[in-house]
Amino acid sequence: MKLAKYVKFREEKFGGVLFETRSEKVFTLNPTATAVVREIQAGSDERDIPGRLKERFRDESGAIEREAQAFIAELRQKGLVED
Amino acid sequence: MSIPPTTPAATGSGDLSAPLYMAWQVTNECNLACLHCIEESGPGKAFRDELDDGQVFAVLEQAMDLEVPYLSFSGGEPMVHRRFFDMVAYVCGRNGQLKIETNGHYLDPENCARLKDLGVKAVQVSLDGATRETFNRMRVRGDFDKAVQGVRNLRAAGVPIEINYSPTSFNAHEIGTAVDLAADLGADSFYTGRTMYTGNAVKTWHRMAPTEAQYETYFQILHRKTEEYRGRMRVHFHEMGLLEELRYRLHHPAALLIVLPNGLVKLINALPFVCGDLRRQTLAEIWGRFQRAWQDPRVGKFVDDLATDPRKTATLHQWVYL
Repeated sequence: MKLAKYVKFREEKFGGVLFETRSEKVFTLNPTATAVVREIQAGSDERDIPGRLKERFRDESGAIEREAQAFIAELRQKGLVED
Repeated sequence: MSIPPTTPAATGSGDLSAPLYMAWQVTNECNLACLHCIEESGPGKAFRDELDDGQVFAVLEQAMDLEVPYLSFSGGEPMVHRRFFDMVAYVCGRNGQLKIETNGHYLDPENCARLKDLGVKAVQVSLDGATRETFNRMRVRGDFDKAVQGVRNLRAAGVPIEINYSPTSFNAHEIGTAVDLAADLGADSFYTGRTMYTGNAVKTWHRMAPTEAQYETYFQILHRKTEEYRGRMRVHFHEMGLLEELRYRLHHPAALLIVLPNGLVKLINALPFVCGDLRRQTLAEIWGRFQRAWQDPRVGKFVDDLATDPRKTATLHQWVYL
């Protein structure tokens, strides 16, 4: 999985922004979403990302893992990532 | 987690480390002399102090270093700039997304193939008319057939196409046909809005300005066309009047910079205010000033004055340095 051809990512103090330049849509990302995109850019396997974030953020509740899974699904649904 | 989309124009600039979009008018020189041109471009109209090659590439380098994700080159006619293809190659080579805004007269098969090879995001062509008669009346020295052929050449080369349309009293009735033509030519997007009273339009307004009744019909047709082409071609249009737009911008400055051919940076095209000079300041410094510049009381006053004197937009080229 990688960012789609027309999607640009930039890290910001608050997290990051995804910019889909074909439709000229901008998505503002919180730190968890930013961490997901960073993993995608690094080439991590999609199935491993939620678990890695859970570990990194030391999230006992599993909330971040669920958040990451939902975010990846949303990236797919919006066409912001491709295989 | 939900990530509602917005646009560069609707994205607040306050928290961002750099602009999301840099709209660069690379030269004021143009092969045409269009009735409505907001930049008063035309043959022999290049600014005497346009950025030299070293300055141009220094600005591009800064933009890429700051990870400005999206740039556009316009003019004037950007394709007459002596280093046009080198500039395109630099931005695309550093993975920037680049849109070219052109009148389409230099889009021969060879140039289209080069644009494709270099990887531009899209080329936007101005087609202000669905017929030779209206287009050529609007685009003085222009040739409808040449512009249409240019779009066909883009299509053949596989370059994504956008069409831009400026309404006037004599072409507004063709909007439906123009949207259909854009779709037939293979455009991905169609853009239009209200024509602004500035630049050449100040001199030609009496024979060019659409009436409010024309605008009403114009936007009704565009609403219908938006639905008709949904999923095939995006139809974007701004019904909002300039005053309304500027009042919104005062509180929500867009995350974009307008760069003039001489390196001056404007707050927005529809205001005369300059917040930086790329010949003397870095892009990062200017971005740092941008948000504060919008708060300057002169900006708010200018917008307030527009409510009683809409023709103040005639002075947009009398730059005010903040």
